[in-house]
Amino acid sequence: MTLHALTKPWEPMSYGFLDASAKREIRRKMIKAIAVPGCQMPYASHEVPMARGWGTGGLQVSLTLVNPSMRVKVIDQGADDSVNAASIRRFIARVAGTPTTMDTLDADLIQSRHRIPEEVLREDQVLVLQVPNPEPLRPVQPNMSIARQMHADADYGRMWLQLYEQIVRSGRVMQGASYPSLVHGRHVMTPSPIPRWDVPKLHMAKHLTILSAGREKRIFAVPPFTRVEPLVFSDVPYKVEDHADLTCHRSGTRGFFMNEIPQDDGTSVFEVSDSAWGVKAIRRRDGEEVALGETWYKNGKMPS
Amino acid sequence: MAYVATRGGERAIEQSQRLFKAELGDITPERVAEIRSAMPYLIDRVMGEASLYDEDLAALALAQTGGELYEAVLLLRAWRTTQPRIAVAEPVTQDALFTHRRISAAFKDIPGGQVLGPTLDYAHRILATEVLDGQTHRPEPVEPAAKPAPANQPSVAAWQAENGLLRAAVPDTQTGNDIPDVTREPLLFPAKRAHTLQSLARAETGGVLALGYAAQRGYGQAHPTVNELRLAEAEVVVTHPRGTQFSAGRVKVSQAEVVSKKGEQLELGFSATLGWNEVKVIAAATLDLNSKSAPKGSATEEEFFLYHTEGVESSGFCIHFKLPHYVTFQSSLYAMRDAKAKKAAKEKSAEPAE
Amino acid sequence: MSVHPVPSEFEARTNAAFDAIIWAFARPGLMQKLPEAGMSQIVEALIDRECSVHCQDPDLAEMVRRTGAVMVSPDDADHIFVTDVPLTLLDQVRCGSDLHPDDGATLVVDADLSAGARLRLTGPGIAGDVIVTVGGLPGDFWPRRARAMRYPMGFEVLLVDGQRLLGVPRSTTVEVL
Repeated sequence: MTLHALTKPWEPMSYGFLDASAKREIRRKMIKAIAVPGCQMPYASHEVPMARGWGTGGLQVSLTLVNPSMRVKVIDQGADDSVNAASIRRFIARVAGTPTTMDTLDADLIQSRHRIPEEVLREDQVLVLQVPNPEPLRPVQPNMSIARQMHADADYGRMWLQLYEQIVRSGRVMQGASYPSLVHGRHVMTPSPIPRWDVPKLHMAKHLTILSAGREKRIFAVPPFTRVEPLVFSDVPYKVEDHADLTCHRSGTRGFFMNEIPQDDGTSVFEVSDSAWGVKAIRRRDGEEVALGETWYKNGKMPS
Repeated sequence: MAYVATRGGERAIEQSQRLFKAELGDITPERVAEIRSAMPYLIDRVMGEASLYDEDLAALALAQTGGELYEAVLLLRAWRTTQPRIAVAEPVTQDALFTHRRISAAFKDIPGGQVLGPTLDYAHRILATEVLDGQTHRPEPVEPAAKPAPANQPSVAAWQAENGLLRAAVPDTQTGNDIPDVTREPLLFPAKRAHTLQSLARAETGGVLALGYAAQRGYGQAHPTVNELRLAEAEVVVTHPRGTQFSAGRVKVSQAEVVSKKGEQLELGFSATLGWNEVKVIAAATLDLNSKSAPKGSATEEEFFLYHTEGVESSGFCIHFKLPHYVTFQSSLYAMRDAKAKKAAKEKSAEPAE
Repeated sequence: MSVHPVPSEFEARTNAAFDAIIWAFARPGLMQKLPEAGMSQIVEALIDRECSVHCQDPDLAEMVRRTGAVMVSPDDADHIFVTDVPLTLLDQVRCGSDLHPDDGATLVVDADLSAGARLRLTGPGIAGDVIVTVGGLPGDFWPRRARAMRYPMGFEVLLVDGQRLLGVPRSTTVEVL
């Protein structure tokens, strides 16, 4: 063998930044994550040219999956033009030569922080969610090794107790985003800090969701047609944010998750959080022909 | 047109980077060379935390980030991750280190002698303000000792083990590719010994110091004595595919042994890192010493200090709070308002009828 | 920074192979297509020096060895490539632990995906149920698989027939009709 055989032709950068061995490791872990839905699989999580906590986990998954014919959409808080979404989108396009889009319907791969788009995702689409903290048990058990044992034992008693205490103390479950949910009847998972509004979109969805925490080095998944059930008591039903009756002051669209914009006079106005949806609604209102996809929520209600 | 998806985000981030770079001006080969020669200890610190030994790249990273250390380390780590691993070097043994400085606080004298080497330990910390008045501060020439200190010495712990004062560490028989590598597999607990030492070697100096200092002040169970502190150079010996072994060069390394009495034996804490960084290895060895008997969840427990001294992760997470969080915030607002309304309704219904 | 956003031939092939693999596991029972025929596609996409592999076929084994992977017996392997399934194999395949379900192996098997036993698959990734036809495996393959695993412990099965690929993750319940 020669030194040459151990190396490869010099490239300024691998396609998609990650080298072949980093991609293979992520692929192997993605397979296990899909095979055991909702179970956190540890992975090496290589450093990428972005700060930890800024979507490096999602980015590694996206970079492993992309090819030049895959159209990529990146959103942060629902918006395509949020600075970090713009930064990630630009990076992926730069190192993988992928076309990009803001329209959910045109995207093959959607990397998102804190939101799931309002239009129903198809079975050929992949949603990659960025995850700051992959451990739903952390509020009750900050030690990762003990928490791991609790998952192994399906020991979710303290989780339930915490929810119960919130109801006793505040009259309701206070958990907003990152609502802990039972996946495939076995593993409790954080759906990432998506609002409660978005959690039902994961249940028996057609698309594949991969959740990746780069800093914490954990990857987990919700395959299509998989049960995702928020932890609730049978007599205290799961409630999403009461945005059903809010109207976007810019696009006029109604019945979707909204951003609240405080006004000088002490009131608030609302604008739809899914910016691409808002843009399409405006364009249609202005007479353009725009394809609007089917939405998960209809008239502000999620059909059960 | 107000709401049409703007490219404003992209323009803003582009201009913000230009603003940052404008302040730094041109980055020239001369500037990089000057940083490299003028700031060896800073270079060492950055190389250690990046776990990438290349003085030129470290100097370039410092130049490019204007000395923002966390950014410089991230830049090097991100570069490192793209590099192929073509060989695994032979293990470096302590007695093979070319030693510049080796001191022990445990004994007045040690075999091989106390070798002070380069240090500011006994310097009077007075600013050379004459430089600002236009004068050159020229260091006094070094006067060599009549007899040079021996370059190679075994560790003090080896002598203690021979004398039955401590149990010698069990040699790790794993070699080459079998050595666990924390950059290629996740850190899990209880951590593999190699992962622990690698994580401490690349830990952030300030973080290790904060937790190590907490242990030293009394939040740890073991009080450290510096058994040996060493600054040295190590040969990086690799094997050519033909089978011949050769030195690919020397790297600066620091290592610390700290000990504490446990029953009739001494217990040993150890740390080593790339580059010369005394504070880091003493603090890290203190954490290593304390971790064996640390209660779960304490700052001297391995999981606690290894996670929280990882500088790229901790600094990244810290600054990520600058990112918009208005969706999660909105979700919390809803829960708060709803709870408040429920409480108000309850209080109202509980009011006695007039 | 100069950038090469053009994938090499190897990158394009392994990317496409993994695309088939990931969807095979995300949608058990739906036939996927590898870019080229054979298990070598899977080796290229997944295997390197970090892996422990058991491999029956000598030619494929040579390829696996070149990736730097360690060749081991089936009970130590994280990836197993077999053309003929020995009866005892399913009792040896690593299932991981409750603590680390990810230590369960991936078993890649040559199969006949045109004729053979009719199977009903249910579980994550499947809308309701799906019927597939799988031949070329020992008669008690599926009951043995079920006995060997206790969810979330278990292993993944990839069935390969030329370019065609079918995934059966541990979460899938298989009923022989």
